[in-house]
Amino acid sequence: MKEWAKFLVLAGAFLLFYFAPINAPVVMTSLGAGLALLQEYAQRHVLTCLVPAFFIAGTIAVYVKKDAVIKLLGPETKKTIAYPVASISGGILAVCSCTILPLFTGIYKRGAGIGPAVAFLFTGPAINVTAILLTGGVLGWDFAVSRLIAAVIISVIAGLIMAFVFRKHDEKNAANGFASGLQDDVPYSNWTIASFFALQLAILVLFGISMQPVAKAVLIILALMAVLAIVLVKFKKEHNLEWMSETWNLTKKILPYLFVGIFVAGIIEIIIPEDLITRLVGQNTLLSNIVASLFGTLMYFATLTEVPIIQKLMALGMGRGPALTLFLTGNSLSLPSIFVLLKIMGAKQTGIYILSIVILSAFAGLIFGALS
Amino acid sequence: MTIKVLGPGCVNCKTLERRTREALEQMNVQANVEKVEDLNNIASYGILRTPGLVIDERVVWQGGVPSVDKLKELLAIEQERTGAA
Repeated sequence: MKEWAKFLVLAGAFLLFYFAPINAPVVMTSLGAGLALLQEYAQRHVLTCLVPAFFIAGTIAVYVKKDAVIKLLGPETKKTIAYPVASISGGILAVCSCTILPLFTGIYKRGAGIGPAVAFLFTGPAINVTAILLTGGVLGWDFAVSRLIAAVIISVIAGLIMAFVFRKHDEKNAANGFASGLQDDVPYSNWTIASFFALQLAILVLFGISMQPVAKAVLIILALMAVLAIVLVKFKKEHNLEWMSETWNLTKKILPYLFVGIFVAGIIEIIIPEDLITRLVGQNTLLSNIVASLFGTLMYFATLTEVPIIQKLMALGMGRGPALTLFLTGNSLSLPSIFVLLKIMGAKQTGIYILSIVILSAFAGLIFGALS
Repeated sequence: MTIKVLGPGCVNCKTLERRTREALEQMNVQANVEKVEDLNNIASYGILRTPGLVIDERVVWQGGVPSVDKLKELLAIEQERTGAA
């Protein structure tokens, strides 16, 4: 943070404390609501959903062979392969925006070109594994799966639109490829890694489904022991340490912002008038989906904070269609990321990209709202 | 020796820069350590996953933060290469 920014934050806090109408009932109720939502998440989602999700993301970071995937985004790859790979690889290649932008720039400038780059840019933040798992845990799996599928489809369509509109860009692009992979592959069979991954996923799913409590506990303990067995018997110490440090780094990066986001979401429920939400985004109309789409485009949601915020907006009466729309544009676009895109792609490309995403997301929400 | 640390400014990139300086100090090697944060510039090295490490314009590492020992190894290889040339 720049010094003047620090000053502004402190000055803002001072003014807030100075003038805040502390005795007004709304202040106390909204603070209480923020704390109540924090407690709900702490009791119901942190241990059973977030912690396993962070370990799973750590597993992906250490054990999934990313160079093989990245090679498929190079300039020589056929478009029919590059698009689907780009649209789903966000789920394993990227967890936060600081890995997404360099990858996007690389694919755009030296790799498969603007179409796959755009497809990756859109799905990268939207389908990361922790976000999907938390969405499922909090709002239900139909929501999580629809979010995943809609993001993948939209990314490919947006990519194709960009590739068509800017087909000249790709002609001068194909000159040189990527630096080859320099990290050593891990010395375990795919089978071991796949079962390690599946077991952790099983723990998370077991926590989520409703079944007889004793059987549930037994199954979870069995799966935990199996994970532990693989860690102790199969994996080398250095990889285990790396797994721990990746998981911990991710937790450090995400959890503090998430707690702030949950608190804010609790406050939102009190201070935003209900009829404002029902009037703007209550019905599943084209207009309300476009409102949700534009709102998501401008707002910045730190990773995962979109979940509690959308949960509370829905409690205030937001329709399911507009909610899905907000999921789609919320993470992938924000004012700060738009500024970076302007610098990399230029104004024309960025403008058409944003326009396509806003419209496609609104329609995806409209369809989801009509179906559910 | 000119060393460039490529990365847009996230935690990992800063860790890599710190460890690189540490490795250089331990090896008693003088080098120019630069931080490259401009995405277009990073992409021009053909790097996709940050952070990346470039020694005398050659990419020697990308996509993770190596340990100080590993960095010393990488530096030693590059030193030998340029020394032999």
